[in-house]
Amino acid sequence: MSSYRLPSGGLVDRAASLAFTFDGKPMQGFAGDTLASALLANGQRLVGRSFKYHRPRGVLTAGAAEPNALVTIGTGGRTEPNTRATMQELYAGLEATSQNRWPSLAFDVGAVNGLLSPFLGAGFYYKTFMWPAGLWEKLYEPFIRKAAGLGRATYEADPDSYEKCWAHCDLLVVGAGVTGLAAALTAARSGARVIVADEHARAGGDLLSTTATLDGLAGPAYADAMLRELASHPEVQVLPRATVFGWYDGGVFGAVERVQKHVAAPDPRRPVERLWRIAARRAVLATGAEERPLVFGGNDIPGVMTAGAMRTYLNRHAVAPGRRAAVFTTNDSGYALAGDLERAGVEVAAVIDSRPDALAFPGLRARVIREAVVSDAHGGREIQAVDVWADGKRERIAVDSLAMAGGFNPVIALACQRGAKPRWSDAHGAFLAPDVDGLSLAGAAAGVTGLAACFESGVRQASAALSDLGFRPTPLATPVVEGDVVPAPAPPLWMIPGVKGKAFVDYQNDVHRADLDLAVREGYGHVELAKRYTTNGMATDQGKLSNVNAIGLLAKARGVSPGEVGTTTFRPFYTPVSFGALTGAHHGKHFQPVRKSPLHDWAARRGAVFVETGLWYRSSWFPRDGETTWRQSVDREVLNVRANVGLCDVSMLGKIEVCGPDAAEFLNRVYCNGFAKLPVGKARYGLMLREDGFIYDDGTTSRLAEDRYFMTTTTAYAAGVMTHLEFCAQALWPELDVRLASVTDQWAQMAVAGPKVREVLQRVVDEDLSNAAFPYLAARDVSLFGGRLRGRLFRISFSGELAYELAVPADYGESVADALMQAGEPFGIQPYGVEALGVLRIEKGHVTHNEINGTVVPADLGFARMVADKPDFVGKRMLSREALVAPGRPQLVGLVPLDPAASFRTGSHVLSKGAAATLENDQGYVTSTAFSPHVGSTIGLALVKNGASRHGEEVLVWNGLRNEMTTARLTSPVFVDPANEKLHA
Amino acid sequence: MRDSALMRRPAVASEPVRCGDLLLEAPGGSILQLLGKAGATPPSDMSLPEVAGASPGLRNAGPGQWFVVTDRELTGPEIDALAARLAPSLHVVDQSSGRFRIRVSGAPSRRMLAKGVALDLHPERFPVGTATSTLVGQIGTNLARTGQDSFELLVLRGFAQSLWDDLLLMSREFG
Repeated sequence: MSSYRLPSGGLVDRAASLAFTFDGKPMQGFAGDTLASALLANGQRLVGRSFKYHRPRGVLTAGAAEPNALVTIGTGGRTEPNTRATMQELYAGLEATSQNRWPSLAFDVGAVNGLLSPFLGAGFYYKTFMWPAGLWEKLYEPFIRKAAGLGRATYEADPDSYEKCWAHCDLLVVGAGVTGLAAALTAARSGARVIVADEHARAGGDLLSTTATLDGLAGPAYADAMLRELASHPEVQVLPRATVFGWYDGGVFGAVERVQKHVAAPDPRRPVERLWRIAARRAVLATGAEERPLVFGGNDIPGVMTAGAMRTYLNRHAVAPGRRAAVFTTNDSGYALAGDLERAGVEVAAVIDSRPDALAFPGLRARVIREAVVSDAHGGREIQAVDVWADGKRERIAVDSLAMAGGFNPVIALACQRGAKPRWSDAHGAFLAPDVDGLSLAGAAAGVTGLAACFESGVRQASAALSDLGFRPTPLATPVVEGDVVPAPAPPLWMIPGVKGKAFVDYQNDVHRADLDLAVREGYGHVELAKRYTTNGMATDQGKLSNVNAIGLLAKARGVSPGEVGTTTFRPFYTPVSFGALTGAHHGKHFQPVRKSPLHDWAARRGAVFVETGLWYRSSWFPRDGETTWRQSVDREVLNVRANVGLCDVSMLGKIEVCGPDAAEFLNRVYCNGFAKLPVGKARYGLMLREDGFIYDDGTTSRLAEDRYFMTTTTAYAAGVMTHLEFCAQALWPELDVRLASVTDQWAQMAVAGPKVREVLQRVVDEDLSNAAFPYLAARDVSLFGGRLRGRLFRISFSGELAYELAVPADYGESVADALMQAGEPFGIQPYGVEALGVLRIEKGHVTHNEINGTVVPADLGFARMVADKPDFVGKRMLSREALVAPGRPQLVGLVPLDPAASFRTGSHVLSKGAAATLENDQGYVTSTAFSPHVGSTIGLALVKNGASRHGEEVLVWNGLRNEMTTARLTSPVFVDPANEKLHA
Repeated sequence: MRDSALMRRPAVASEPVRCGDLLLEAPGGSILQLLGKAGATPPSDMSLPEVAGASPGLRNAGPGQWFVVTDRELTGPEIDALAARLAPSLHVVDQSSGRFRIRVSGAPSRRMLAKGVALDLHPERFPVGTATSTLVGQIGTNLARTGQDSFELLVLRGFAQSLWDDLLLMSREFG
């Protein structure tokens, strides 16, 4: 293939040659190339196949809107499908592969879809594949998806890393073309903190492809000078390769920076992409304008591209589009390209201008055909000729490239993402966005044309924003611009007469003009309906090139103005953002934080099996040699607590210090039972209700001093209870002087339980632990290890055994646990985990959130007498609601199978003996089950209608999901020591 | 048991880590939470003679609440004496084990923290002496600026290892 690279000019470094491959074919490009410009320089005009008809497609644009030149970059875990070749910087070793073709790009079997195209119009799938319905998911959809499609993602893990970052500024400038640079420099000189984000590798925008001069400097040199000055301001941050993709509440913008997408081997210490959240006080949108393609037959044949893109490849990348070009234009901008082409030695066969009154451009040699249109382009994998209609006559002109200059659509997506509606301007022939919420538009994004006017617009909008913020703006003087072709507004050309071939509106989704006609004819003329009916604008390019043309064509078909048709809804993201960037560093080990108990390492040393409980890792059981099932370990741990003594980590229980002169009154209102008269040095079980009267949480609270309490909560509700208490203190009773501190993490807390516990503890605790000196429910600061450490000791029991909970500062937790294990060795102490803890509490009939499940009030659990007769407490009023005091409420009972070998599961339902297994016969359900080594069978706790008065009754336990039925007997929920003799031992 | 070896084991057992110009340290010491009524005024450093020798720092921890941070580990009697002195307007809660202290220093500190902290850490917006409760990534912390290029984080002990690991990851590009 011949080279289309020009011998001189452009912003490519001819000394830095870069080797790359396309579909395995070796090619060469230069530093400064995009993949698209390098492919064009190598004469590779066919780069992909279209989505539905598999038509040959080439490079259409030179930017983010590219719908055709989508390729897969990289291999293995770094495979990235659907990469826009126009945005991909070239690097040595880049491997690009074309997509959606089989067996090869040049010969693609799927192109037969093109022959079937009369049957593949809009709505075709829905009309054709209606019956039988079952085949849709099994056959039609997979087949359609396989035949029509994009690149394929890899199943290999991505080897690269990503991160997120916050940034803050007074002024965010989106886009670093002439407008954006002028705005940013104005702000920088005014002393503001500025962030300039530009989606391209090199800032400068159209300054990099213009042949005009500014103050006598070429465009690129002028841009570089501005960038150098920006870099000299310490409060200015220029982010190249950063696409601002979304505008969110609070002036926060999302941007994705392609940090290392332009290198073959990314530095592993740095991310390949960085997701920025930019909090900006004001923003100037200098995003420029997108050139509209023209909708004629064959407007997708490789070799057809937008005029601006052709000019960029020519001037910036020094790539000629071909040998003989034509320019089809609706405005003056096409002449700038025609002039540049001629100067570069490319023959311009014709400039086809749709206007009758187009001016003559001095110096242009090309033939200008006025009041003319291109109705069709011809060619297969490359354009060969165009049909030009003028004066009612058709003329065929041989060309190898064609530029389309259909006018400009300001890039207003960001400005409209938060509900602002674009309005149609006849004067501009474009949709414009309003300035809203601290965001203003400048330059081509605001419909301004010409370098000088854009510069002025950037300065003006930045100055206005800075004044708003209290800065005194330092506006820049507009440079003297020479040689710029400033296109005057020209009416858009929607409907081109004489079209024979497929005239594409949405290239990426293969929507052509006839599809939109069909949509209107079939009643889907509303812009949102037409979008869904035809899929126009629904591809990954989100209709950047196609939406306005579709609106224009719908307007023509409906006989209304484009403004009346209106636009579809703008939403983030502006361009596709990788899942990697959205995930940031939060994957693998860093997916979510781990919350570790101070005894985590202690338990791990003793071989604990851990279970995730929220973010905590709790020790579940401690297997010993020879134990092959978890039940063996748990049964042993349970029996050892009942017979000897065990130690369990309960550090993850929520712990809250409640201080202040009104702490007693505060707790008295928070709990439904009385706390005002709790003596110093005593603990009490407390029941906390929700406002609606149902139980919220439970725990033990101890009075350490007159004005100081130590509350414990369940593990699951620790944060919720803290929030609830803060709300009560701040919003409900601000008159109470109470202060709260979460001390969950301050204390390593160990439950030490079993008949031999006192002997073990007494070896560590200095105070007298006799029953008389430290009775049941005593709670005091204690001295440990001969005064070397202070801790808190609570004589409370969850297991039903003689038990204590010892709290020590968390950093000393491991030492103290080790010391207790050592002290307990002669008494057979063993650690036990949460599984054994669960068995022990079920045997004792203690409740947890299995029972406190949001449907129970104190009386249901047998706590009716705990509810104090006091003036007020949270939940008091609602607790007396009729339904909450009515007979027949579920009540807590115990449950044992009649056959000790039988068992039942949590969640099973309870039926009266002999009742049919129907939900109508439901008497309640099983809330907790465990195998009880003490009882010798499975036992359960259940909430059963009037259960408290039904002890001894035989019932059926029914598991409808597993079809299990067990006969069982309702019992007291307390299976161990019902007289509480052990607690008081 | 009275002669058992009692060892203080901090949540993260790590020597200081250097990543280029960035230094991550776990300075230890003591952390006391002072609880006052909303609107209470902070005690000035001068009013804390009990901890004067321990280079105390005072950190805002919400309305009427502060953390006192000392480099030296305070003794129980020292804490008691301080509590007695501040009562009844302020209650003292020892959080020396409950919070873990991480120091980040060096020129890239602000850039590193920006990967997890949503707050504007510009020295004019977050000057030396400022402290507040905020998130670092997914983990709640109390963040204080202790110098132009140095910050301290107080984090719940249980999350300390995760935060430490996250900070190392955030620092990687500077090393």
